[in-house]
Amino acid sequence: MTTIERDLLHTVEAASISAGRHFWGQAALWLSALWLVASFVLQAAHVSGWIAFGFENWRPVLYAYVLWAVVLCATRVVLYGEAGKKALFVLPAALFVVAMVVFPLLFALWVGFSDWNLASLTGRKFNGLDNLRRMLSDPFYANALINMVLYSLAIAVEYAIAFGLALLLSQDIAARKFWRVTFLVPLMLSPVAVSWMVGKSMLETRFGPIARLARWLGWENPSFFGDPLTARLSIMIMDAWTFIPFMMIMLLAGLQALNREVLEAAEVDGATKWQRFWQVIFPLMLPVSVTAVMIRIIFKLKLADIIITVTAGGPGGATDSVTSFIYREYRDRSNVGYGTLLAIIYLVIIVFGMTMLLKVSDRILRRMTGRL
Amino acid sequence: MKVEIYDALMRRQASRREVLRGTASAAALLGVSSVMGGIPGMALAADDLRAQILKIPGVGKGAPTDADWQKVGELCLEPTKANVAAGEFAGVELTFMGLNNQNLHNFLFRGFLKPWEAYTGAKINWIDLAQADYNARLQQSIATGTVDFDVIEMGAPFEGDTAGRGLLDEMPDWVSKQIEADDLVDYLKAPVGTWEGKTYRVTIDGDCHTFAYRKDYFGEGSISGRAEPPKTWQEVNEVSKALIGKTDPLTGLPAYGYLDPLKGWGGFGFYFVENRATAYVKYPGDPAWLFDPENMKPLVNNPAWVQAIQDVMDLIAAKAYPSDQINADPGTTAFSQFLAGTGSMLMWWGDVGSSARTSDTSVVGDVVGFGINRGSSRVYNRKTGQWEEKYNEAPNMAYIGWGIYVTKRVSDDEKKRKAAWSAAAHLGGKDISLWTSAYPSGFQPYRQSHFNYDEWQAAGYDRAYIEEYLGSNANSYNHPNAAIEPRIPGIFQYYSVAEDELAKGFAGQYKSAQETADAIAAAWEKITDQIGRESQLKLYRASLGL
Amino acid sequence: MVSIDFDRYGRRQRLRWWAMRFVVYGLLVAWAVVCIFPLFWTVSTSFKTAADVMKGNLVPWLDFAPNWLGWRSLGLSPDTVFNVSTVREEFMRRLWNSVIMSVAASALAVILGSLAAYGLSRFSYKFGYMRNSDISFFFLSQLIMPPVVLALPFLVLYKELALLDTYVGMIAVYTLMVLPIVIWIMRDQFATVPVELEEAALVDGLSIWGAFMRIILPLVLPGMVAAFILAMILCWNEYFFAALLTSTNTNTLPVMIASQTGSQGINWWSMAALSTAGILPLVFVGVLLEKHIIAGMTAGAVK
Repeated sequence: MTTIERDLLHTVEAASISAGRHFWGQAALWLSALWLVASFVLQAAHVSGWIAFGFENWRPVLYAYVLWAVVLCATRVVLYGEAGKKALFVLPAALFVVAMVVFPLLFALWVGFSDWNLASLTGRKFNGLDNLRRMLSDPFYANALINMVLYSLAIAVEYAIAFGLALLLSQDIAARKFWRVTFLVPLMLSPVAVSWMVGKSMLETRFGPIARLARWLGWENPSFFGDPLTARLSIMIMDAWTFIPFMMIMLLAGLQALNREVLEAAEVDGATKWQRFWQVIFPLMLPVSVTAVMIRIIFKLKLADIIITVTAGGPGGATDSVTSFIYREYRDRSNVGYGTLLAIIYLVIIVFGMTMLLKVSDRILRRMTGRL
Repeated sequence: MKVEIYDALMRRQASRREVLRGTASAAALLGVSSVMGGIPGMALAADDLRAQILKIPGVGKGAPTDADWQKVGELCLEPTKANVAAGEFAGVELTFMGLNNQNLHNFLFRGFLKPWEAYTGAKINWIDLAQADYNARLQQSIATGTVDFDVIEMGAPFEGDTAGRGLLDEMPDWVSKQIEADDLVDYLKAPVGTWEGKTYRVTIDGDCHTFAYRKDYFGEGSISGRAEPPKTWQEVNEVSKALIGKTDPLTGLPAYGYLDPLKGWGGFGFYFVENRATAYVKYPGDPAWLFDPENMKPLVNNPAWVQAIQDVMDLIAAKAYPSDQINADPGTTAFSQFLAGTGSMLMWWGDVGSSARTSDTSVVGDVVGFGINRGSSRVYNRKTGQWEEKYNEAPNMAYIGWGIYVTKRVSDDEKKRKAAWSAAAHLGGKDISLWTSAYPSGFQPYRQSHFNYDEWQAAGYDRAYIEEYLGSNANSYNHPNAAIEPRIPGIFQYYSVAEDELAKGFAGQYKSAQETADAIAAAWEKITDQIGRESQLKLYRASLGL
Repeated sequence: MVSIDFDRYGRRQRLRWWAMRFVVYGLLVAWAVVCIFPLFWTVSTSFKTAADVMKGNLVPWLDFAPNWLGWRSLGLSPDTVFNVSTVREEFMRRLWNSVIMSVAASALAVILGSLAAYGLSRFSYKFGYMRNSDISFFFLSQLIMPPVVLALPFLVLYKELALLDTYVGMIAVYTLMVLPIVIWIMRDQFATVPVELEEAALVDGLSIWGAFMRIILPLVLPGMVAAFILAMILCWNEYFFAALLTSTNTNTLPVMIASQTGSQGINWWSMAALSTAGILPLVFVGVLLEKHIIAGMTAGAVK
């Protein structure tokens, strides 16, 4: 992400803004903001029982927010003319994301530091750092975190396979479109359906075709979720299966964008295919690879549907991802306070980890590409 | 079970009821007299109807489908027509929350209620829940105040969570007459379905776990080498271990003994450890078997419960279960395993008996036998802290049956309220229930009228089979030492957390059965404290009749 | 195909060439089987009966006689499709919900995302201390956000806003979910369009928005289609939020599929029929528009 110091696209300011226009713009903006704040305060007071008058629910506050957002966008143009029109590109998305993320996150912080069991009659109780203390002594949360590391490591294999497939598809082959479409199919399948039809049906130990294949290959009593190691492997494979196409397309796109001349030059130099791959193609593909792997890691960190549906974290939490662990804490135990705190901590770890990863990969990338 | 014994049982029960119910029986008499006062032809017509619906689609004709449900719903509409005028509920919309089990529960209700909707003019919207999500969804609805349903299919264990918080609408009298509530088997009568003296429930199911076994595994020259099926859990475990490495006589696949569901199931999975534990832990005369009624301390880590957990761990260590059993969904144990010919012994709700002969999945219909929960050769006395070497048995009334409840949301709108109760009454009708107990529905027999063997015989069952199957249910319902779960708030949270800890224990994450049980006990203590120990204790004692 | 000059290459080279071909096609076929077999298994299982499932029969007509059992239980078999079926009504409602919500959310995300991505690729902003790179990071970092962090806050906030189980609420959540990925794709799409194009347009008297609508949009349309399809796939298959925030009116197909278990095990034929019906619409869309996905992501992947 590079910083653009000045507009790439220069525009010419048409005319100056008249004072009246400026005044009405400001007035509208402040009025709508005032209304938003007022309706919020009113409803907050109503809900906490200070005043009897109020709305039935918080929706009018939402409307006030929407109105304020619209006025804000409109007044950009009113107040700043052409320059304001530029802001219109980014503002709607930004306002939307702020509304949908910032408020819930603040709310999550409020929930995360409380003892709140949804089935308890007493409702929410602030309990300070108790949840944090409990988390530190919860071996199963630690276990879920370790699992996330293991699951993420599996991406190395996924990447190798995806790269291999991308190379295959970029070969001179007949009916390329057919193969490409075919390889893309797993990406479109719903993880829930995959969990059922692959995880539970095809891996069924009696009639499942994979179990029968395993038996035919000499594995006498196939069991895919019986012990922690195989269970984790099975989950990894199923998840890999749905997401390899995603990496594959990105890498394929990268391969197709490679500079033909460089490749041909390498061929003329008399390098073997193997050398050409390691010394030319692979380094050239590094930037794309990093992007693909990063995106894949991000998706991997959300891994949950398959685990929830197929193993529910079993056997004994061995396959739990953080999300599936929290999901159970949440759905089965209604323990929203503790669950939310775990989620927040997870978010902190992810943000920290991803930032580090980006920094490191950036540095490596720079060194590698610098050498070329 | 022999017919004479059964009849005797029923008589005894009838007399006991009259003594116990006192004034309430007046209302019952009213119901009876209206039937007796009717012309004989009407009674005959009713019998015809019962015989007719039992032939939809017919025993051995494959599982019923949507068209069959609609037909049954249509035929059983008479009681509704007596109380509701055609088109009376036009414009009423109801939201119904229930289970989304394949071809069961809501699937049936939709079919049953389609003709009801057509007749009354009401419209029903559906909330479908997976069984494992049920408890969580309900708890969240309650606590966040989002009760977004008018009618709910719910089990008695949740009455503490709902009725206890004033979320339910009291059942009008005409409903109990329409559904002939007095026909229910005894243990489903008050206090089940009531809270602080008010009635809230249209019962549509009765629950008890019964023992099902494969007859071809036992007898002269059978692979188990035993003449009789095991009587006690000690024997069940021996058989399971002895069967390792043998071949199933029916399918030719590996033979297995008892099938324990080892995976969590949103709380429902805990019932299966209970089955093993009740005979060890439920001391005759002492109603408490989950918590200490003095201080709400869990009993789950006492030696009896630990023994039950240890039994399962021993079988896992001996590799006595089918591979991947630890990841098999509990729901599959009965229907995808036992009925499909894997495993020879099972504890399950009563519907396994009707499904053995009517479900598409079943291959064991001809070789399946039934009995009540197995006993134990010794029982733990929690008062003395000693094991006593004497035979004990305690059937587990797991879940006390599904019922239809109406929520407070409709209380202010008399038309809507009547519509909701009419829908509930339609589903809990006497005749429709005969069909649900005979075909795959998710429900089992729960009325005295369901134990009329002649009807079942006429529908295509053979007498011996139906006596054994229904007998095991009746014997469980009427057992003097039956283990009935306490209807206290959050009971499914206790189960659910226990399930989680058990799963960890079974996967070898705890060192021993004792450690697993201690973890459950610790988690239960936490829940009790969270919900409030005093109130829990009070409700617990009330539910035990103390 | 590559034409081969057989005079230049010796027998050995020719042999090697054929061996390579063999390996390449062998691998292609092997992976195609890996990709397609589960789909085949799903579709074929929907035509099996209990006995066929238990025996693990594979090939229709050869191993087992196809049966409409699974589709009948959905009310979609030839003999039930014209009758009243409560099961089919439910299925159609879920399908319709899935269609409405995934299309609307994807469209909204593409609109909001394209605008933002265009702005970020052309102008330098300063919102408080936030500059372009910060704003970009703000958007893209939403991709990292695990749904579980927002789940409960959404549940309670939506309840307060009376947005639980409404189309608007679900569409907003899904838009939020796919917005970062749309911005990510579109940002690189716009980066490939030379600025000179708009400059020329501005000189010709078009406004910024005019230039954007008339000149740029047509150029990046394939990229937008790609972003739309990708967003669509993610929304259509989403389970976590749908399971949590919907109950009656806006239940989607994945929720319906996931909740198909119960006290009586699994009717594999029904399950397979339902899964097939849930998967196929998207597979069709994906296969038809596959070209666009690749084209769109080409720009996205190669910065």
